Order: sequence, then C-alpha cells, then structure tokens
Amino acid sequence: MLPLVLTGCAGRHNWLASAGAEAQAVEDLFWVLILGAAVIWSLVIGLAIYAHQTSAPRKEPQARRFIVWGGAALPTLVVGGLLIWGMVILRDITAKEGDLTVRVDGERWWWRVIYDGPDGPFTTANEIRLPQGQTTLFRLTADDVIHSFWVPALGGKMDMIPGRETSLTLTPLEQGNWGGICAEYCGGAHALMRFDTIVMPPDDFRTWLAAEAAPAEIAADDPGWQVFLDEGCGACHTLRGTEAQGPVGPDLTHMASRERLGAGIYAMTPENLSRWITDTDRMKPEVDMPAYPHLSGAELEALVTFLMSLE
Amino acid sequence: MRPKHAPRVIDQGSVWILVAVPSIWAGHFLLSYWIAAIWCAKLPAGASLAEIRWVIAGLGALSIAAIAGLGVIAVRRYGGEFLVFEEITESSERGRDRFIGHVTLLLCGLSVMAVLFTVIPGLVIGQC
Ligand code: HEC
Ligand SMILES: [Cu+2]
Repeated sequence: MLPLVLTGCAGRHNWLASAGAEAQAVEDLFWVLILGAAVIWSLVIGLAIYAHQTSAPRKEPQARRFIVWGGAALPTLVVGGLLIWGMVILRDITAKEGDLTVRVDGERWWWRVIYDGPDGPFTTANEIRLPQGQTTLFRLTADDVIHSFWVPALGGKMDMIPGRETSLTLTPLEQGNWGGICAEYCGGAHALMRFDTIVMPPDDFRTWLAAEAAPAEIAADDPGWQVFLDEGCGACHTLRGTEAQGPVGPDLTHMASRERLGAGIYAMTPENLSRWITDTDRMKPEVDMPAYPHLSGAELEALVTFLMSLE
Repeated sequence: MRPKHAPRVIDQGSVWILVAVPSIWAGHFLLSYWIAAIWCAKLPAGASLAEIRWVIAGLGALSIAAIAGLGVIAVRRYGGEFLVFEEITESSERGRDRFIGHVTLLLCGLSVMAVLFTVIPGLVIGQC
C-alpha cells in the first residue's frame, strides 16, 4: 500500500488510466507535449552536434534567418497553439453544466458531500458515487483553509477556496473505485484526507442514490444508539431522521455502506472502527475528533455493532 | 524628411518610440485585467465574460493598430528593418536611427504577440 501511496501514479490513482473523459483530454495534451518536446530537443541537439563537427562555411544572414524563424517565430507558434489547446481543455472541464450536480465541501480533514436526492438535497461524506458515462458537475467550496479536489484517474484537479465556489466536471468512462485526494496542503492530516470515487452503471447509481437519501434505520432500544447519545457523538455527527444533528463531523447516516473509514484511509471493519473510537488521534494524527478511551468493553462493542448496522 | 512644425515626442531620432510600443502592451494588459476584474466582482458568482469579451477583443485590436502605426513610423522615418543581416555599428545619425527602428520593430513583434496572448484567454474561456 505505502509504495502505491508514495508514487501516486499506479492503480486507482493513476492519472494515465484514461478512466474519465477529462483525464483523457489532459493525457492527450500531455503526450503531445512530451513527444513534441522530445522531437524538438533531438533536433536542437542534433544541430548543435552538426554545427560543432562540420567545417562547412556558414553565412551570417543564413544564421540570422535561422534564429529568427527557428528561435523566435516557431516557438511563438508552438507555445500559442499549446496555450489555446490548454485553455480549451480548461474551459471544458470547468464548464458549468452536467447531467447531475454534486456539491463537495472541503473540511479539515474530510469531505462533506451534498447530493440532489429524489426529495431534495441530502448530505453524506467521504465517498462519492458517480454514474458511468454521465457528466457530473462538482460545485466546490471549503470551510476553513484551501483544499484541492482531485480524482487523478478521472480528471481535475480544482482548488476549493473558502468564501468562493469553484467548479469542475467529471465524466467517468470506466467502472471501478478510483482514489481521490486533497491536492493542496491543508495542515497536519492533509495526506490522510482522501476519498473513494465509485463509478457504477447509471441504474445502480439511481438505486444507490435513493437508498442513500433515506433516513437512518434505528431501533430505539439499540444499546449502541444509547451509547452514541450518552457520549454526545450527536453533537458533531448527524444521523438523518434522528435527534443527532451535529454538523461538525461527517454524516454517519449510512456510514457502514462506505468502503472506507476516516476519510478514505482504513477499510470499514469493526476492528478499525473500534480503534477509531478509542485511539482516534493515533489512527489519524491531528484529527478534529476526541478519542473515547474510557468506554467499557461492552459499551464499545455495542457502539461499534450499532454503527456497523448503519447501511 | 523632418517635418517643419515643432518636434514631436516620437519623431526621427527620438528613443521614445522604443518605450511607447511595450507601454501599449502594458496598458492593454492592465485595462483588460481591470475591466474583467471589476466586471466579475460586481456581478454574482459564476458570471460570464460574454458581454465584455468583445470589449477586451476591441481593446486588443486598437492596441495592435497603434503598435502597427508605430511600426510604420519605425520603417518610414527611422529606416528600420525587421531582419538585419549584419551588425549595425555605424556611428552616425543614420546608424542610430536604423538601430532604433530595428529594435522598435522587434518590440512591435513581441508586443503584438503579448497582446494576442492576453486577448485569447478572454475569447476562449469567457467565464469569470
Ligand atoms: C467534536 C466533534 C466530534 C465528536 C464529539 C465526535 N466526532 Fe466523530 N468525527 C468528528 C470529525 C471532525 C470527524 C472527521 C475526522 C477526519 O476524518 O478527519 C469524525 C469522524 C468520525 C468517523 C469516521 C467517519 C467516516 O466517514 O469515515 C466516525 C465513525 C466517527 N467520527 C464516530 C464518532 C463517534 C461514535 C463519536 C462518539 C463516541 C464521535 N464520532 C464523536 C468529530 C466528532
Ligand atoms: Cu485538504
């Protein structure tokens, strides 16, 4: 895992994976740039070697003309062309249109995600699902400091700036779970601010959206729910449809249906969840959630069972 | 062929023609930037530059026309050439004029490109 994270250019973070139309557009430009640079570099070096080795007499006017056309006119044209191409890409990937709109708010160090559900907008967190082949418009904001929203395999990236809204479109072409990261240093846990981007067939996506929009299903006498309330988790976390309406931390209404815990960094397992609650700061240094090491074994188990039932 | 009336700032022998050309570029850049910034700041978020992109393009056309005008002066009055094939070393009134004319023409080329590079984003992107 670590080598993958460090290189950032293999597997599900591979920005050359062609998994999205926007990433594909940037990749095309990239290859033209690299190959073009290789050709020009070889030409220049070849000429330099030739000039060094030949003893053929050269004429001043010829040399000057060569410098004007090869050294000034041609680069201007090349750079101008690349400028226009790059701007067209930028214009297209920041277009303010999409088949659906998702709002994402960068927080230290997690992601608040707001979908338009069947009955109006609802909030979830840390995992984004997208319909394959459709264009999603992201409207991006930040709450505290500048973050940057990037799913390398699909496209982007785009800064999230407090007090402003930026936008970005993603048109995923391939199904899969593509990694997302914060790409602008935002403080201590910046490198642990991640998310999953799951691309699914449009029909499955609609089914998921309806399920995700539904309120939490809770048995009032669930002992874990009691622990949740007694420990005050609801002051920071929301379980839609209950009295827990805290806006500070990620929405937990369907947290167990997420693939990862702690903003995309651990597998969603009871063991990891249990450690998250008792050793929060060790699981994610500088995290903005207090640890609960004082919970008894029974309380912790009830709480974890309860949370893992929130699908 | 020095005109008979009082000397102008930009006349044969004056170096101001050199300064004037990139100044037009700088002026165009600043004006475009200010207009776009004020326009975008006064309108709600996500506003479009569509209505004023032609202002920016028009400013660009004016600037290029002014630069071209100075280029013509550099050729006619200073005897400037865009391409010179030998060094201009002659220490005379005419040599200095030719040198100024040549440099002015090079700056004209640079400034026209710079103005175009300022206009293009306005035309292509068209949003704040
Ligand atoms: C002071 C506010 C606060 C309190 C109280 C709090 N949390 Fe959190 N919690 C957070 C924040 C902020 C995060 C996001 C941390 C991060 O990923 O950087 C978080 C994250 C989580 C996550 C991970 C969510 C995800 O999407 O991966 C779980 C699970 C969680 N908290 C459970 C609890 C439980 C259970 C309690 C009570 C025992 C609790 N929290 C109390 C603020 C709080
Ligand atoms: Cu961040």
